[in-house]
Amino acid sequence: MSAIIEARDLTKNYGSQLALDRVNFSIESGRIVGLIGPNGAGKTSALRAILGLTAYRGHLNVLGREPFANRAALMQEASFIADVAVLPSWLKVEQAIDFVAGVHPRFRRDRALALLAKTQIAGSRRIRELSKGMKTLVHLALTMAIDARLLVLDEPTLGLDILARRSFYDALVNDYMDDTRTILITTHQVEEVENLLTDVLFIDQGRIAVDCSIDDIAARYAAVAVAEDKLIEARALRPFYERPLLGKTVLYFEQPDFARLAAFGEVHRPSVSDLFVAKLS
Amino acid sequence: MHTTMWLVRREFWENRAIWIVPAVIGVALTIAALFGRIDLGAAVSAEQQQVIAPTVLLAYGFTFFAVMSIYSSWYLMECLYADRKDRSVLFWKSLPISDTATVLAKLFTAVIAIPLVYFLAADISTLLLAFIVSMRAHAYFGSVLWQPELWLQLQVLWLYVIVTTAIWFLPFTGWLMLVSAWAKRAVVLWLILPPLALYGAEQLFFGSHFVGSQLTERALGYLPRAFYDHSNHAAWATTAIGTDTITAPTSVWRLLNPVGFVSSPATWIGVLVGAAMIYGAIQLRLRRAET
Repeated sequence: MSAIIEARDLTKNYGSQLALDRVNFSIESGRIVGLIGPNGAGKTSALRAILGLTAYRGHLNVLGREPFANRAALMQEASFIADVAVLPSWLKVEQAIDFVAGVHPRFRRDRALALLAKTQIAGSRRIRELSKGMKTLVHLALTMAIDARLLVLDEPTLGLDILARRSFYDALVNDYMDDTRTILITTHQVEEVENLLTDVLFIDQGRIAVDCSIDDIAARYAAVAVAEDKLIEARALRPFYERPLLGKTVLYFEQPDFARLAAFGEVHRPSVSDLFVAKLS
Repeated sequence: MHTTMWLVRREFWENRAIWIVPAVIGVALTIAALFGRIDLGAAVSAEQQQVIAPTVLLAYGFTFFAVMSIYSSWYLMECLYADRKDRSVLFWKSLPISDTATVLAKLFTAVIAIPLVYFLAADISTLLLAFIVSMRAHAYFGSVLWQPELWLQLQVLWLYVIVTTAIWFLPFTGWLMLVSAWAKRAVVLWLILPPLALYGAEQLFFGSHFVGSQLTERALGYLPRAFYDHSNHAAWATTAIGTDTITAPTSVWRLLNPVGFVSSPATWIGVLVGAAMIYGAIQLRLRRAET
């Protein structure tokens, strides 16, 4: 497997404020990676650097290129939605399709039209006449119609209702994703993407807090709901986080002794969102 | 080239005023020609007709290019700012188009594409005028508005103006683009205040007027360089009709001064300064993804 994105000592500062602090990570081809972090953690800075939208310090290689100096070439093979509602308001839907078809060699008009046909948005409508959710659907249709090796989605479903969100993620996994592609996705609605991610990158205060695959989470982390009377004993095994739940206390462990934990109750793999809260609280 | 065509097309989609404004001027001028008062208040001789004809046609065309200079300034001021303000710059940057291509397509639109639209509108409108006036005021004009030589002169004149103004005013164009790529808000203030501050600071600390004289020279220096003035008597004819005195060029050929324009160092210094500012606008475009 080859690395699609390789970051070494990636650093970005705005004046004296450090948005990314010597970050190292690598993303392999064929993965769906969730970049997850609280507001202001450095997610957007990392995405901007990866997409060639901003200068940075350190080493960064995306699809074999240095992104900032080669953004135009990079965008032949990478596509992104850098936030919702950024389509220009004066643009007509059909103009958007014509334009992208005109300038992007990997854009597949038939696929964009098929995606739009499901939404019942007329091509003659201007973006400003559309609701927030419809704008997002148009943007998603344009982006998903590009045969990109790397797709970056920054909060892609903001403004969509639950039906549209579900159908978007279904289409993403079933129709779009294959082993030649890589998807990097950030969202605050972790529960929604947790079943489709293959890897997670937690980022906090400009540093990587957790970098592991979903499969590794089960091997590396454990959560146990412990009754009141065994709490002190369980705490001796040094949980890194705990929270009360229905009269018990859930304790979270990293690299635990699974055999000993089993004595306190059923050991389960923490969900991505629980792990996120546990690690970053 | 292919991408450039789409980028220019995109500008026409976004800025529909590029063709709406000249269309409106054309309609308004045509209505004026149809229903306006055409009465020179005195008999007009055949020689006088020869003086009036180019004056009328020139005034018509000039109206278009005067409005265009205002519109183009506004276009340039907005061209690298509007999409940062509404954040759609992130969509444009998600496409495989370099920032250099984007900025140069906007420059091309401002100095070539928009002038050609106005040129076309001025021509159509002037043709209509010639036709209408010939019908309505045959007594004054006869068929003097229909001389092929005169029309050829007009075409050459307007194309000459388009090319030479694009070159001469490149520093202004560059400055507008630079500010448009730079400003996070209040574009107009950024446009005016830095030159004003430079002017004031220079006068305060050095007591000199280099900045002011350069700006004045750039603003007013175009006509004397690109055209012969009244000292070239053969180029001008004056005639009195009633109480009015009309001075008109006898021939555009005697008016144009391409050699003087091209051989003036100020022309090429301006090109260098303008190109440097456009380069700066590209560099800012690379780095500024938002306002």
